[in-house]
Amino acid sequence: MAFLELKGLTKRFGEIAAVENFDLSVERGEFVSLLGPSGCGKTTTLQMIAGFETPSAGSITLEGRDLLAIKARSRGIGIVFQSYALFPHMTVAQNVEFGLEMRKIAAPERRQRVAEALALVHLEALADRYPRAMSGGQRQRVALARALVIRPEILLLDEPLSNLDAKLREEMQLELRGIQQRMGVTTILVTHDQTEAMALSDRVAVMHRGRLVQVARPLEAYEHPRSDFVSSFLGKTNRLEGKVVERAGERAGDLCRVAVGETVFAAPAPPPEIGKDARPRVIVSVRPEKVEFRAAGAGLVDGTVAARIFLGDHWLYQIETPLGVLLVTRQNVGPAEVETGGSVGLAWDAAQVRLLPFEETA
Amino acid sequence: MTRNGPFALLFNALFVLFMAAPLVVVIGVSLTPEGFLEFPPSGISLRWFRAILDNPDFIEAGWTSLYLGVAAASLSTALAVPAALAIGRRRFPGRDLLLATFMSPLTVPTIVLGIAFLRFLSQIGLSGTFLGLTLCHAVIITPFILRLVLASVTGLDRTVEKAAESLGASDFTVFRRITLPMIMPGVVGGWVLAFITSFDELTVTVFIVNPSTTTLPVRLFNHITQTTDPLVASISTVVILFTVGLMFVIERLYGLDRLLVGGEAR
Ligand SMILES: Nc1ncnc2c1ncn2[C@@H]1O[C@H](COP(=O)(O)OP(=O)(O)OP(=O)(O)O)[C@@H](O)[C@H]1O
Ligand SMILES: [Mg+2]
Repeated sequence: MAFLELKGLTKRFGEIAAVENFDLSVERGEFVSLLGPSGCGKTTTLQMIAGFETPSAGSITLEGRDLLAIKARSRGIGIVFQSYALFPHMTVAQNVEFGLEMRKIAAPERRQRVAEALALVHLEALADRYPRAMSGGQRQRVALARALVIRPEILLLDEPLSNLDAKLREEMQLELRGIQQRMGVTTILVTHDQTEAMALSDRVAVMHRGRLVQVARPLEAYEHPRSDFVSSFLGKTNRLEGKVVERAGERAGDLCRVAVGETVFAAPAPPPEIGKDARPRVIVSVRPEKVEFRAAGAGLVDGTVAARIFLGDHWLYQIETPLGVLLVTRQNVGPAEVETGGSVGLAWDAAQVRLLPFEETA
Repeated sequence: MTRNGPFALLFNALFVLFMAAPLVVVIGVSLTPEGFLEFPPSGISLRWFRAILDNPDFIEAGWTSLYLGVAAASLSTALAVPAALAIGRRRFPGRDLLLATFMSPLTVPTIVLGIAFLRFLSQIGLSGTFLGLTLCHAVIITPFILRLVLASVTGLDRTVEKAAESLGASDFTVFRRITLPMIMPGVVGGWVLAFITSFDELTVTVFIVNPSTTTLPVRLFNHITQTTDPLVASISTVVILFTVGLMFVIERLYGLDRLLVGGEAR
């Protein structure tokens, strides 16, 4: 039995289902991200785990105990809200101490644990400040210390880093992951930032319109998305509409052939979801970093370089081809390989092509 | 900080002058050595302040007003805080009606209120009593305090309370340790405003006092209808100083602009 189990979890607000039939098992000490676009039900799911929303159906168990029978205040869950939700009339130390007071822990131990928690987030020096006199990043740390000091069974984070600027966010990501691993606390992070989810978590749970569409390790979800939505949501991709024109052989590793417009190229055998049609329509996905430059005429398709954008550690090219505009990224390890306006050939390894069930729009 | 233009400055100056002029006149008159009202005073004397001490019925009335203000303001605070929490953050049938009921004393002419209270108090056998007075004043001042508390409740971030709950706090603890301190500026501001309103309420009170529960404004009013000596001015001056002193203390504790305009707790 998993540590935390969500089964068939559903929440309806009147007509609309904010969360529908959501199943997820989380192991002890694991870091799982709920990832999805705005309004897909991430916060609602988190609030149900915390006890602030009552599910319309389904169950939540923690080590086999029914969590829904327990009030929010007794669940022993630490939460960090997007707005931090610090107590404005209390100092940093008092904020952190609050949860320990509620647990009736004796004053000397309280003081010691507050000091430890503040040391964990490097805020020892600011213990007597009020939240309003602190920066966003510092408030964020206070909120984290306040949630961790009670030694929660589960730590819930609702977009905790989204109010921070990009550089600070990256620092905090590293720090958050470090702290989580040191404490070994089971953590669920809600975010709509796919890089954040992939950087931090053991597994990402991608949500779409209230439903869980894929749970996997970040690399697995990125490399083997199971749907058009996941493929487009996790990172950049070249999404093409095509058709399987020649089925793969029976042996493992056999390739099939797909046509996108006039261009035909090889791809791994399509997954079973695609069905048994002789020539099924598919979504073809090729990641920009998997596309390589060739001399014009020597690749799978030719194109002209429409734009070349410098992004520091890498270049982003937009190439106009008969298939549409394709994105190509290249590491910045020397001078740019092609110039704007030039003709190039594009090629990719057949093993890097992903075929996904056809959907009208992502 | 934006600089004010000449017209804005002129407007502000006139406004302050208009507000302050009566106070200056009252204070000036109270310092006269003569036995009649004169302004500017022909000399400076504390004669009429000493005269207050020779009129124990005024002092008596002053104490009554003070007790009444404290009792009525506290009672209506105790009512308005839960009411504001319910009205400000819940949607329930009858919510608008409840709010309208609490605010209605502002829309009913005070004479009508006075007569109504008079009838009502004698009906329930409380006419002329301190308790009856307290209840009536509480009704009159509740709109003021409700407004201010409502303003701070509406600006409250509910996730802060959720955070406290998730840390193990019971509903009551959340209220006492989190919600109440966060709306405290509104509560204190409302209490002070309500107290001052009660302290100088005349129109309604005239109808419902009896000689043993006469308040200071009623006592002054009765005095003026009979004689015009500078005693009213010296008593008014004491009241003005008391009010200014009260405001000063509150300003020190909470910041007056914050209280009356609303804003984050210090
Ligand atoms: N109290 C509520 N009453 C009615 N509808 C609600 C309520 N709370 C959420 N919803 C709806 O449920 C859906 C999911 O909301 P939720 O807040 O869980 O989304 P989210 O994934 O957290 O989005 P975001 O990234 O914008 O925070 C939305 O369509 C939202 O409008
Ligand atoms: Mg959300």
